[in-house]
Amino acid sequence: MADAKVLVVGAGALGCEFLKNLALMGVASSSKGKLIITDDDVIEKSNLSRQFLFRDWNIGQAKSTVAAAAATAINPNFNVHALQNRVSPETEMVFDDEFWENIDIVINALDNVNARLYVDSRCVYFQKPLLESGTLGTKCNTQVVIPHLTENYGASRDPPEKQAPMCTVHSFPHNIHHCLTWARSEFEGLLEKAPTEANTFLSKPEEYKASMRSSGDAQSRESLERVVECLVTEKCVTFEDCILWARKRFEDYFSNRVRQLIYSFPEDSRTSTGALFWSAPKRFPRPLDFTSQDPSFISFIASAAILRAETYNINIPDWATNPRRLAEVLDRIELPPFQPRQGVKIVTDEKATNLTTPASDESTIIDQLIKSLDNEICNLPPGFQMNPIHFEKDDDANFHMDFITGLANMRARNYGIPEVDKLKAKFIAGRIIPAIATSTALATGLVCLELYKVFAKHGVEKYRNSFANLSLPLFSMAEPVPPKVFKHGNQSWSVWDRWIISENLSLSELLQWFQAKGLKAYSISCGQSMLYNNIFPKHKDRLNRKVLDLAKEISKLEIPPTRHHFDIVVACEDDERNDVDVPLVSICF
Amino acid sequence: MEEVAVEALTEQEAAVYDRQIRVWGVEAQRRLSRAHVLVIGMSNVLTELCKNIVLAGIGSLTLMEDAPSVSTVMNTSFLIPVEQIESDKSFLTECAESLKDFNPMVHVTVEKGSLEEKPDDFLNNFDVVVVGRSLLKYRMHVNSLCRKRGPKIAFLSVDCRGPLGEIFIDLQTHTYVLKAKENVPHSLQNLVYCSLEEAIAARWDRLPKKTTKLFYAMRIMEDFEQSNSRLPGQVTLDDLASVLDTRKRLCESQGMPETLVPDKLLHRLLYAEAREHPPVCAILGGILGQELLKVLSGKGEPLKNFFFFDPMDGKGITEEIPRPDDTPIIMQSAEIEI
Repeated sequence: MADAKVLVVGAGALGCEFLKNLALMGVASSSKGKLIITDDDVIEKSNLSRQFLFRDWNIGQAKSTVAAAAATAINPNFNVHALQNRVSPETEMVFDDEFWENIDIVINALDNVNARLYVDSRCVYFQKPLLESGTLGTKCNTQVVIPHLTENYGASRDPPEKQAPMCTVHSFPHNIHHCLTWARSEFEGLLEKAPTEANTFLSKPEEYKASMRSSGDAQSRESLERVVECLVTEKCVTFEDCILWARKRFEDYFSNRVRQLIYSFPEDSRTSTGALFWSAPKRFPRPLDFTSQDPSFISFIASAAILRAETYNINIPDWATNPRRLAEVLDRIELPPFQPRQGVKIVTDEKATNLTTPASDESTIIDQLIKSLDNEICNLPPGFQMNPIHFEKDDDANFHMDFITGLANMRARNYGIPEVDKLKAKFIAGRIIPAIATSTALATGLVCLELYKVFAKHGVEKYRNSFANLSLPLFSMAEPVPPKVFKHGNQSWSVWDRWIISENLSLSELLQWFQAKGLKAYSISCGQSMLYNNIFPKHKDRLNRKVLDLAKEISKLEIPPTRHHFDIVVACEDDERNDVDVPLVSICF
Repeated sequence: MEEVAVEALTEQEAAVYDRQIRVWGVEAQRRLSRAHVLVIGMSNVLTELCKNIVLAGIGSLTLMEDAPSVSTVMNTSFLIPVEQIESDKSFLTECAESLKDFNPMVHVTVEKGSLEEKPDDFLNNFDVVVVGRSLLKYRMHVNSLCRKRGPKIAFLSVDCRGPLGEIFIDLQTHTYVLKAKENVPHSLQNLVYCSLEEAIAARWDRLPKKTTKLFYAMRIMEDFEQSNSRLPGQVTLDDLASVLDTRKRLCESQGMPETLVPDKLLHRLLYAEAREHPPVCAILGGILGQELLKVLSGKGEPLKNFFFFDPMDGKGITEEIPRPDDTPIIMQSAEIEI
């Protein structure tokens, strides 16, 4: 253990507890030992309730660095190094072959499934033991992954989280989660995507217009509409302009759209089967009538206007949240009355994934939009750029959550759904994971016990995966499951195996190699590209080429100088034309 | 959602405690911030406990050194950076200062002197008293003081011997909210606990057959330490023969065969001497911490009344000792094997 080379991925709650335990246990504490901890995140206030190696004065600093320093204070012999990289496909030049080959064991301290899956895939590829754990409130679980002995982490997946259908979120919400999902999406669209799109246009106007013209589809038209809204039709120069914009958004979202919806689908309308259209779970909406005397409306206007102003770098006056001053401006605004129209298409199909309804002549509309942009662009100051806003849930003073809560609650009011306070809104919209120190400590303690077994190279029956719930309390432990074994003829393999061909062979030689195993390789790919598929007659021309050359040419494969192999995925079938799942194949050169 | 608005917390509390408020709610957080905990003794497992409850945001934590024992904590605690081990300040003072850093909103103090010297109502200042490694008679004494002082003082004890751990809880009577489920609404539940003395007095031959052997082994160790004027933890493998004699005597007096407690288990307890295994301290500290938070917040069903951990079988086991007489003897252990 003292000589071990350990990688800890993540320096948050789990990471801090791990470092403390590992330092006390004397892991990586000899001159040969080394522990690398990596995390690209910085310390925030809400971390302090669990991540005890951090202090108030560390806020803003890199988690991995601070954690490593604190752990060294616990045990000066602890040979710990901190990196600030995310472990992902994008950092494979940092975490390269040499890096992985020099690691003995990997400990995950992550907070999301995707990162876990990626690290798991690297551990499978490089045949490294992985200790995995996670917490959710008072619950925690741990899993041991040992090459060839156990299944890997990715072998059993939870079913994906159910997401509400798009039309539910867009037109037919029936609970506050739908309203918050919608609010979050509008926030992003109005305050991040639109300004970003506008900036794309502003930095290269001719190219942008050309690409819009050439694609000429509904999506391009929508992008252009956003840009025109920002720079022409709804352009803001003063804070009063922003208030007007906010007022118009209120009218559009919570009055006009609702009026249109109930015009298209009156309360008593029926579906083609004769059932009431507005039957449960659908809720019949009612429009909101704006008044400057309603504090919740004022609060919505304030946060919307402030954020809009930010995107234009407009100075925010100190009376921006003053209800009286805002009411003065608002009372002077007169908006045209809304007339709902016939024949407006509203998507009701729950399976629809795209809500854009194409117009009859997109290109004409696009041309018109471009014209209006051309007319306006000379009015903008030179070098003008907008300021896109990225949603930050934890800064209470930035008005992000105020705006999202306002959007969601106004919508909830339309549909008669109970409203929520800012705290609960943040929980749902921010997708916050509840977390406490006790279950974190428990999880890491259990993992560290398994660590001893890994170093002792125990058989699979000695390891334990565990699940615990401190609120009950409940502890359940189980032996890890062995990996799924595939068989063909007298061969067997699992996800841990790779077939290694130690010569730089040609495509036809490769096919023969498979033939010798009683398998017909019908499709060969490298990275994202297909090198060979026997249904394409043209591919016969490739048979005499070296597979390596094909990979370099077709997949644009770039092989680091220290690596002397590359991997291909081969699809095979047996004599009875049944598909056989074969391992990854590595060809050495 | 909680009826108590988040505005009831200070801005600092709402920001730091955000993620845990999602678990137990604003009202529970407020109750924690008004709670006063006394911890007697300091060991590695108590260090873990203190870390957890300080991070959770209790109102105050008072540390006392009262029950002499042997421990390796002074050289191995993560609370104290290595270069400060030789400092002039007392060990507890160093611990307190570190704990304050974990959460400046918690009032952490060191109480000097022993319990004997304190006025009669000293314990009234606390909602929970936690006692670490100590002689059984000391623990029973503190437990009876808690009971004498009124029903509102909870008593918890914990000891970690090498990789083996034991937790004991006495809440006298405890009312808690049982969370609503499907067709069953929120309900108030009431638990009645026995004292440590009553628990220890339980006849071994009346306990369920599957009661974990660690319970008996710990009683044998306690008896050995007391009878031989040892400080708790002051044991080595050289004591094996003597400890086996203690086992013989106790088992006979309790009407049980010696095979009740395997040699191997006592061997492991003696081999551990005064050491506490860091991962097991983390596990026990997490469990004990959560139990304490449940007691203070009134939310969630607390453990009743013993908890044991042995990494050898990798299980966490809850035992109720003794069982109430009127209920049938069924498997009480909360461990489930898959």
